[in-house]
Amino acid sequence: MLRHRLPALTALGALLILTLTRLGHAAPSPEHGWAMPHDASVHGHRLDWLLHITFIFIGILFVIMCGWMLIACVRHGRKHTAKYDHGDKRRSMLAPLGMAAIVFVVVDGNLFFHSTKDMHSIFWNYARAESAPNAVRIEVNAHQWAWDARYAGPDGKFNTQDDVVTLNDIRIPVGAPVIFQLGAVDVLHSFYLPNFRVKMDVVPGNITRAWLQARELGEFEIGCAQHCGTNHYKMRGLLTVLPPDDYARWLADASHDAAQRWRAEDTAAHWGWPWEKGARK
Amino acid sequence: MSGHEQAIHPAPTSFIRRYIFSTDHKVIAKQFLWAGLLFLAIGGTLAMMIRWQWAFPGARVPVLGALFLRGSGGAVTPAVYPQLFTNHGLIMIFFAITPLLIGAFGNFCIPLAIGARDMAFPLLNLLSFWTFVLSQLMVIASLLTKLGGAAAGWTTYPPLSTNIGTPGLGQTLMIAALFVTGVATIMGSINYVVTVIRLRAPGMGWMRLPLTIWGLWLTAILNILFVPVLGAGGLMLLIDRVLGTQFFIAGAQGQGDPILFQHLFWIFGHPEVYILILPAWGIVSDLLSYFARKPAYWYRGTVIAMIAVTTVSGLVYGHHMYVTGMSPLLGLGFEALTLAISFPAVILFANWLSTIWRGSLRFTVPMLFALGTVFVFGLGGLTGLLLGTISTDVVLHDTMYVVGHFHFTMAAATFLASFGALYFWFPKMFGRKLDERLGKIHFWGSVVFITLTFGGMLIAGYAGQQRRLFDPFQYRFLARLAWLNRATSVSAFILGAFQVVFVWNFLRSMFAGEKATQNPWEVGTLEWTHAATPPLHHNYDVIPTVVRGPHEFSNPAVKAALGRDWIGQAEELATSEQSPTGTSHSHAS
Repeated sequence: MLRHRLPALTALGALLILTLTRLGHAAPSPEHGWAMPHDASVHGHRLDWLLHITFIFIGILFVIMCGWMLIACVRHGRKHTAKYDHGDKRRSMLAPLGMAAIVFVVVDGNLFFHSTKDMHSIFWNYARAESAPNAVRIEVNAHQWAWDARYAGPDGKFNTQDDVVTLNDIRIPVGAPVIFQLGAVDVLHSFYLPNFRVKMDVVPGNITRAWLQARELGEFEIGCAQHCGTNHYKMRGLLTVLPPDDYARWLADASHDAAQRWRAEDTAAHWGWPWEKGARK
Repeated sequence: MSGHEQAIHPAPTSFIRRYIFSTDHKVIAKQFLWAGLLFLAIGGTLAMMIRWQWAFPGARVPVLGALFLRGSGGAVTPAVYPQLFTNHGLIMIFFAITPLLIGAFGNFCIPLAIGARDMAFPLLNLLSFWTFVLSQLMVIASLLTKLGGAAAGWTTYPPLSTNIGTPGLGQTLMIAALFVTGVATIMGSINYVVTVIRLRAPGMGWMRLPLTIWGLWLTAILNILFVPVLGAGGLMLLIDRVLGTQFFIAGAQGQGDPILFQHLFWIFGHPEVYILILPAWGIVSDLLSYFARKPAYWYRGTVIAMIAVTTVSGLVYGHHMYVTGMSPLLGLGFEALTLAISFPAVILFANWLSTIWRGSLRFTVPMLFALGTVFVFGLGGLTGLLLGTISTDVVLHDTMYVVGHFHFTMAAATFLASFGALYFWFPKMFGRKLDERLGKIHFWGSVVFITLTFGGMLIAGYAGQQRRLFDPFQYRFLARLAWLNRATSVSAFILGAFQVVFVWNFLRSMFAGEKATQNPWEVGTLEWTHAATPPLHHNYDVIPTVVRGPHEFSNPAVKAALGRDWIGQAEELATSEQSPTGTSHSHAS
């Protein structure tokens, strides 16, 4: 994992080095094996746990099914006399009903309980993320085939002169809640951060949301998960998690830069929207 | 029960009336069989090309590249690639599995198994098939257009499927073909529903129907209910493309709602999963009983479970849309209903396994395919739990895990069940048996490599690989999956190669196979006990009177009286029969 241990240089120097390191190692470090992508988020482990415990449950059920089938096939072949049984006596029905009830209560119940709890308290709880004093807000504009990102800049308002706008390059501070509002201009896309267990469709004419909290520094990939045309496979960006100070320096600097380059007549660059506090449009 | 007088019509003598524009359900069944198998081969070829691209991105495709990809020197290009997976999906679902499971076996089995002389509306049946052929021709035409075939994915999500993303005539023709095939499906389904309700032989009560017929009948009901919704969505999409409306176009170029299409699509699309699998469930339930020589365990429970799934199928579609920004409350409702489907599903499995438990199993080729179906459907069903749940679906949504899951349920299970059905009914259809030894080679090659192929997809998706990537290894976090993908592809190629065994067996047996007796499998349903092999033009000279259910195997009373372990559904037992079963006692409604 590439860590940014930036020396105490001037803000400009820091930015320069970041750019150079990006040119040098223009990708995050690769993953290994067939496991899920490395989890770099604070809350992702909840989903991973539910996934894995359910894998154990379905593994057990699968083994029971295969064992049952295998034993029947081995022991109850042509030489075995078939038992005349329609399985329609009250007692016979208990077995299927009981199995269905156990699976329903244990496996489904566990899934439903934890999913509901996690979604309600964490992943859908935008109010909690928004209320954090250090919350970072980013608008993402998806189009064939790239991700534009917009930061409000010092004035805290989107679509103003000091907005920082990047292409396929999103930088966030470690530890802080980061809220994304996602919009698209052409076709559907899906904002996919495999290392943060984030996936949210981006729908033209709509604003969708997602949020995350990074727990480690490094560079990670942004992918598109919804077929969006010929170059769907190339709609790839980078998410860089920085120490909060570095992030603040970068943002201040980039904002300063952006304000100097802002031009009123460049309307195509003014795709931002007022940050929406409530539900979707 | 049947207030409908079924006349005996003389068999047509002209070639055209007999084999081309026939109203005979058995001929139409064979026509659907040929049409389905042909498109299964096309869809399978497309799958091989997709797998080639994932194994060796950008490399020239052997043989097929020289034939179909001359423009790019034989390699799959980013522009061609979406056409491959789009057409693979649509062709397999609508133009291969649907005609095979529903068109061929629905047509062949329903009238014969319920003791009817033909479908309720033979002319409608003819129209259904030829409308279907028209839709298949439109698919072929779409592939030959200037900008190439449809490329917006089988789900055809707008705005990509509008002129914004796929401006070619190919996409338009494909959407129109879906509409036309929908018309064919509705015509066929109305026929099935009415035929089962109206033309059951005397004594053929609902609880005496073979489970195959139950599956086909429930499927037909779902088709009538939900295919029109797809038709509506498709028509609106066509109007968007052709007349410039904006039902589904939003963003920089319109004020419509792309999500509306997803609702319309999945209200149809999720029941579609059951439309394809219900006949397979029915066939498997019957075959397991037939070849375990044991009554189907808790027949009524299986029927109720299938009805329950049919009923709920239209209410769970939202689980395809958890990450569209759906309201959390709506998501919870869909999640609860989706998970509830596991209840009837477990009952089905328990009944299947209890049916073979303590049986006297005959490992014929149809039986092997039935057992294989249970195996792959088990894998598919269990892996689906994580997709029905919102939080775990967020992780796995739109990855290869989803692709692996639905290939196990919709592809592997329906594929194996279709072949099980084909090996089983082939003797009745053509009067000759398929070769048993070649059938077993075909089975083992299919079940092993279908499991490895779709299992590889599950793993790739678990490791994060999105679906529909021209070159997945552009992503650094997926680079490690290169050889997993390659191994999966090799498995797919072997799976494809094993189908050659079937093609040879099918063609050879049709003309030179061992002649089949009237009831080679020794089962009790009407088509085997009362119809000739192959059946007469009007099926039955005298319509049999049914006295019991379809699974009366190993009944000691029958054994004592007749010396065999089976008895026909319409066969009276001379001694005063003391059948202890509920199914045998239920009377005609």
